[in-house]
Amino acid sequence: MLVFTVFTPFVVALFAPLLTRPLGARAGWPLALAFAPSLALVALIPAARSGMPATNSVAWVPGIDLSLAFRADGFSLLFALLVAVIGVLVMIYASAYLGPGERHGRFYSYLLLFGGAMLGFVLSDNLIAMFAFWELTSIASFLLIGFWDERRAAQDGAMKALLITAAGGLALLAAVILLSLAGGSVNLSQLDFAAVREGPLFVPTLALLLLAALTKSAQVPFHLWLPTAMEAPTPISAFLHSATMVKAGIVLLAKFAPLFVLSAWSDGLLYLGLLTMFWGAYSAFKQDDLKALLAYSTVSQLGILTALYGAGYPFAATAHLVNHAAFKAALFLVVGIIDHETGSRSVRELSGLGRKLPLTFAVTVPAALSMAGLPPFGGFISKELFYEAMLRAGTLPIVIAVVGSVMTFAYSLKFLGVFIGPYRCLRPHVHEAPVWMLLPPALLTVLVTLFGTVPWDATLATPMVALAAPALGFDAEALYLWHGLTPALMWSFVTWGVGVLLYAMREPFVNMQRALTPVWNANSLYYAAVAGMERLARLVTLNTQNAPFAAQLRILWGPVALAGIVFGFQALGAYLPTGLTPPPLEFLAAALLVLAGCYGVLVAKTRLSALIFTGLAGLSLVALFVMLRAPDLALTQLLIETVTVILFLSVFRYLPPLTRYRREARTVLLDALLAGSVGLAVFSALLAVQTPVAARIQDFFLERSKTEGGGYNVVNVILVDFRGYDTLGEITVLAIVGMSVYALLKIKTTPVKGEEHGDG
Amino acid sequence: MEVLLPLLAAVLVATGVFLVLTRAMIRLIIGLSLIAYGANLSILLAGGAALRTPPLLNLDGPYVDPLPQALILTAIVIGFGTTSLLLVLAVRAFGATGTDHVQELLEKPDPVLRQRIYADPERPSVSPETQDAPRAQGPL
Repeated sequence: MLVFTVFTPFVVALFAPLLTRPLGARAGWPLALAFAPSLALVALIPAARSGMPATNSVAWVPGIDLSLAFRADGFSLLFALLVAVIGVLVMIYASAYLGPGERHGRFYSYLLLFGGAMLGFVLSDNLIAMFAFWELTSIASFLLIGFWDERRAAQDGAMKALLITAAGGLALLAAVILLSLAGGSVNLSQLDFAAVREGPLFVPTLALLLLAALTKSAQVPFHLWLPTAMEAPTPISAFLHSATMVKAGIVLLAKFAPLFVLSAWSDGLLYLGLLTMFWGAYSAFKQDDLKALLAYSTVSQLGILTALYGAGYPFAATAHLVNHAAFKAALFLVVGIIDHETGSRSVRELSGLGRKLPLTFAVTVPAALSMAGLPPFGGFISKELFYEAMLRAGTLPIVIAVVGSVMTFAYSLKFLGVFIGPYRCLRPHVHEAPVWMLLPPALLTVLVTLFGTVPWDATLATPMVALAAPALGFDAEALYLWHGLTPALMWSFVTWGVGVLLYAMREPFVNMQRALTPVWNANSLYYAAVAGMERLARLVTLNTQNAPFAAQLRILWGPVALAGIVFGFQALGAYLPTGLTPPPLEFLAAALLVLAGCYGVLVAKTRLSALIFTGLAGLSLVALFVMLRAPDLALTQLLIETVTVILFLSVFRYLPPLTRYRREARTVLLDALLAGSVGLAVFSALLAVQTPVAARIQDFFLERSKTEGGGYNVVNVILVDFRGYDTLGEITVLAIVGMSVYALLKIKTTPVKGEEHGDG
Repeated sequence: MEVLLPLLAAVLVATGVFLVLTRAMIRLIIGLSLIAYGANLSILLAGGAALRTPPLLNLDGPYVDPLPQALILTAIVIGFGTTSLLLVLAVRAFGATGTDHVQELLEKPDPVLRQRIYADPERPSVSPETQDAPRAQGPL
């Protein structure tokens, strides 16, 4: 069931182009059915609530304990349902949003790819598979941000998101490996957190894990990829970059909270989250582009979630996670409507839209007020919980939280500002969006409103948040709209009061913000780093790849020669056999002939003599092979040697005489030294391996050659049977070489001159 | 015996390396052959050069390790492929450029050919500009 759920979107993604060709953007409707199995996960809720979650596993690579193990515990289930619901809504929205000229097949394929990856990530129990799905979400995000790939900004945004989140992904891979080693299992549900905590590599493990979570969830200073990711089409931004994917890091924090809660790490996450919350809200307020405003707002809200999960308040965090997903997705979809109908997203160009777009306005108000944290909307409930948690955490946290919330309140009003006041719009005829663009945000808005007005209801908010309780190990409390006159509520009053004031003074405040903006920021650091990498790559390439041929070889062989010099003499001392047996006479003779061949090649004056001396060395080697009990080698070498000589002789008339290019004596000496050192490296390495370091596998072949390969000649059986694919590869190479030789010989020999260079 | 054969492999490789560095095409090809000899011998020695029965099961054991022999057999054949390809390339290159100096092959040819190898004749370097340049065609 779970495997089917996760893989349906992937499979449907493959066939999406088949549907978009006849249907165009409307293919979003049937394609949304790919999320039907995930919506059916509702059926698993009772099991998850009872603490006995449904599991489902398919072996992937059993040899390394890799399986596609899925486990629908309450938290995973909650998030999976969130992904499915918003996924369906976004597909429906997109069917009306996308123009006829867009590449619909790609759009829906990528979207479904992402949906499947996200479902796989939250439901995975196997850590390796979880990492794989995590990376897939990064890749899908890259493809979707760069959807309009002809735009420079989209390319840049896609690249930036990929570089940052993929770096985090690598950290996750390392963390997952360390975790499974220390925790004794590759499955999250069987992971021994206590053992990981006490393990010697706990600190690097946790640091890598947090790096992954913080990059994905755009925490300061990694937040810079999220605002530029807004180059994606708006439905994508609503789905990936506000409601689901950016929360993958948060999910990671929630699932691995037992590793760090109640330690110094916890405080670190609390303050990092609060810093992100403040910085995001501060930056959101000064944006004129509505989408950019929401992007920074998302950064800010992710900061809240990091602070809450990091500091060990999973109840408040989960409540806010659900709320934020709903209202932020709704607001993004609203921005899409505004953009679609007015052709602009700037608060400077838009005002009083409520008159022309009353339905959109009605949808926006609850969502925006929920973001502002006003009752009776969901955002108020979770913000109260946030304040309570921060009050418990200390004075500084609550102060930062309130300052951040004041700005949140103010930018929420700024967002609503485009609907009120005198009507202003650049496009003459503005009318309501199609119903299928209005309905998805409207549904989310209803959810947000119900969350706020009847939070205690037994079918909605309270049980929704409580679903995650067994998995994350917190005691679910009932949610109430009215908590009494608590300190948290007092702080809320302060927030609203100062927030209104801030909104009223927005012009001077934003001007001050602009004046205070430094010329450098995290972005310039990123670009400097990227430019630096490129410069470094060019430097390395230019200095190694572009050198003259001989110099390049010296670079390649230099390290080997160095190893020969450094370790050679050491190895001579360590491995030189003590009881030297004098070699048999025939070996001595063959060896002398090989040496003579080498010497002869070096001093040869003509091509023919060089060839003869090469042949001498090669044929002496044949003799050596015979003495070393390798009859097959001897035969093959003899054959090849003969053919090579014939080949050489047949092409000699097309080649110049053996030229000796003059080199400086110093170069000759240096090259001789280099060659000698490489030889020394070979010599010492061969001495070192004469003492076997591991059991030989020869017995395997010797025993099975007759019984399983059906041959007495073990070498032959290995070639054609045990290592048959190797031989197939060898034959393929030879075939390619043969074709290349033939092609080279077929080319006409006219030298390249003047106008004839066209076809050579 | 334990020292003689490793020494032999080392001399073969060293001679080959030196020949390749002399930059004349024929010497380069011969040098590569010698390196291949040395490498093959090395693999055989790394498998333990014991003087036992060849790995033919109709003879009585104990046998020598058959695996290195199988690997070398592949290597010899591939080595022959490399040599023949290089030889034909040398012939074509000499026919087209009139030199067998491996560096001059790239730097000396007439401006037209040079233009085809490098997009920018003044700057024969691996730079982003050259990546989009049309590939060199013809007898190269």
